[in-house]
Amino acid sequence: MFFEIIDVFISGLINGSVYSLMAVGLTLVYGVTKAFNFAYGSFYVLGGYFAWLLLVRYGVPGGYLTVIVTAVPFFFVIGFLSEKILIAPLRRYGDWEMKVMMLTLGLSLFMDYSFQSVFGPRVKSIPSFTEDIFEFGDFVILHQDIAIFTVSICCMLGLRWVLNNTRIGMAVMATAQNPVGAQIVGIPKDFIYAATFAISTILAGMGGILLCQKNLINPMGGSDIMIKAWVITAFGGMGSIRGSLYAAFILGMLEAFVGWYFGMMYVQIATLTLLLVTLAVRPKGLLGRE
Amino acid sequence: MLQVEGLTKRFGALIAVNDLSFHVEAGQVFGIAGPNGAGKSTLYNLITGNYSYEGKVVLDGRDISGMPPHRIARRGISRTFQIPEIFPSLTVEETVHVGSRFGSRGGVDVQHASEIIDVVGLGEELYQKTGALNLLGKKKLMIGAALATKPKILMLDEPMAGSNTTEILSLMELIKKINQDLGVTIIIIEHFMKVLTDLAQVLMIIESGTLVCSGKPAEVIQDERVVKSYLGDSYA
Repeated sequence: MFFEIIDVFISGLINGSVYSLMAVGLTLVYGVTKAFNFAYGSFYVLGGYFAWLLLVRYGVPGGYLTVIVTAVPFFFVIGFLSEKILIAPLRRYGDWEMKVMMLTLGLSLFMDYSFQSVFGPRVKSIPSFTEDIFEFGDFVILHQDIAIFTVSICCMLGLRWVLNNTRIGMAVMATAQNPVGAQIVGIPKDFIYAATFAISTILAGMGGILLCQKNLINPMGGSDIMIKAWVITAFGGMGSIRGSLYAAFILGMLEAFVGWYFGMMYVQIATLTLLLVTLAVRPKGLLGRE
Repeated sequence: MLQVEGLTKRFGALIAVNDLSFHVEAGQVFGIAGPNGAGKSTLYNLITGNYSYEGKVVLDGRDISGMPPHRIARRGISRTFQIPEIFPSLTVEETVHVGSRFGSRGGVDVQHASEIIDVVGLGEELYQKTGALNLLGKKKLMIGAALATKPKILMLDEPMAGSNTTEILSLMELIKKINQDLGVTIIIIEHFMKVLTDLAQVLMIIESGTLVCSGKPAEVIQDERVVKSYLGDSYA
C-alpha cells in the first residue's frame, strides 16, 4: 500500500511537471498579450509529430538530445511567425481579443485536420527516453519518468532564468505589466508579443515531445490537452505564472490519486469540480490579480 | 530641434489636430495649453508615434514620421502620461533600469540610472515596489524612467494634475533641474498657467486641434483670442 501511494505520488509529480510546462506557456501569452490561444493544444500535437519524424521516420542520430535541441529553434520560429502573420494584424481592431480567439480556434482545426491528412488518422507512438527501470524492493520507477520530470523542470528553470536575467525577459515582464509604459522606455511591444508567443509555442511543443512518449500521438488530441491547460490556467489565476505552477501540480496529483482510488472515469469530474469550487470561492483563481 | 509641420489627425469626422505646425528649440521649455478636448494629448500621441497622421515630425533634421513608439523613444523623445504609467511589481531601481536598458543600445548604464534616481529624489525608495508609491512618487518615477532613456526631449503631459501646492512646487523644481542641469528640452502640457508662465520660454495655445496663439508666455496670456477661448475674462 505504501509503495503504491508513493507510486501514485510520483505519477502525479510527473503529470504536474508536464502540465506546468503547458499551462505556464499558455498563461505567459495571456499575461503579456491578453490573447487567448486556442491552437495551443495543436502545437502540443505538433511537438509529438516533430519527435516522431526525427526519431521514427528519419532516425536522426543523437536521439532525444537532437530532438530537444532542434525543437527549441523550430518552435520559436513557428510561434514567432504565427503571431506576426496571423495575430498581430488583428490588433488594430477594437475587438481584437475575440478575433484572436476565433482565429486560433480556426488555426487549431486547420492544424488538426492537416495532421490527419499528412500523418494519417491513426495514432502514432514514439520511443521512450529509456526503457530502464529503477527498483527498490516492491517500488519501481521508470527512468523515462525521471527523464520527463527532469526535462520539464529544466525547461521551467530555463524560462525563469530567461525572464529574470535577460534583456528579452525584462522586456516581457515590463510589457506584461504595462504595454504603454513599456513603449515609452523604448521596448518594442510588437516584437515582445511575438517573442512571448514563440516562447509559449516552444513550451507547448516540448510538452508534446515529453508527454507523447506516455500518451500516443493523436492528430485530434490537441483539444484534450488544451482544455486541461486552460483549466490549470483558470484554476491558477489568469496571467499568473506562479498560480499556474501550483495549479498544475495540484491537478497532476488530483488526477493521479483520483484515478488510482476511484478509477480514471472520475478524473475529469474531480478536475472540473475542483475548478468550479475554486472559481466560486476565488473568481480570479488561486493567485489571479484584480 | 523638433519641427512639426502640418500635423493633422482625423478620427472619422472629428478633426482632433488640424494642420498644426510649430518648432521647439534645443534647451527650451515649451508649454502647451488649451481647453479640455483641444487635442493636446492627441498631439503627444502623434509625435510619439502612437497614432498615424498626416504631416511631418522632424527631430534634429531627421524625419521620424511613422516610426513606432519604441523607435521614437530610442531616437530621443520620451514622454510621461497624466496617469502615471509604471510597472507595479518592479522596484524603483528596476523601473529606472528598464528605461536605461531599452532606451539605448547596450546594457544598463548603472551610474546614469543612479544619478537619475537622485535627480528625481527617490533614493530612499530604491527598493520599494512602484505600485506602493504615492502619486507624487509615481510621477517622479515615471519621469525618472523616461529620463533613463537619455532623451533629448522630455514630453510631460499635465504633470501637476491632482497635486497639491507643495507637490506642484516640488515638481516645478524637478522640471527646472532636468532642463537646466541635465540639458533636456522640455515640452509640457499643463492647465496651471502659473506653472507655464514660470517655466516655459514659449507657450502655445491650441483649441479644437488648431493653433490659437504662440509666443512668450507673458504676451500669450494677454492675447485677446486666448482670453476669449481659454482663460476667460476673469483671468485678464
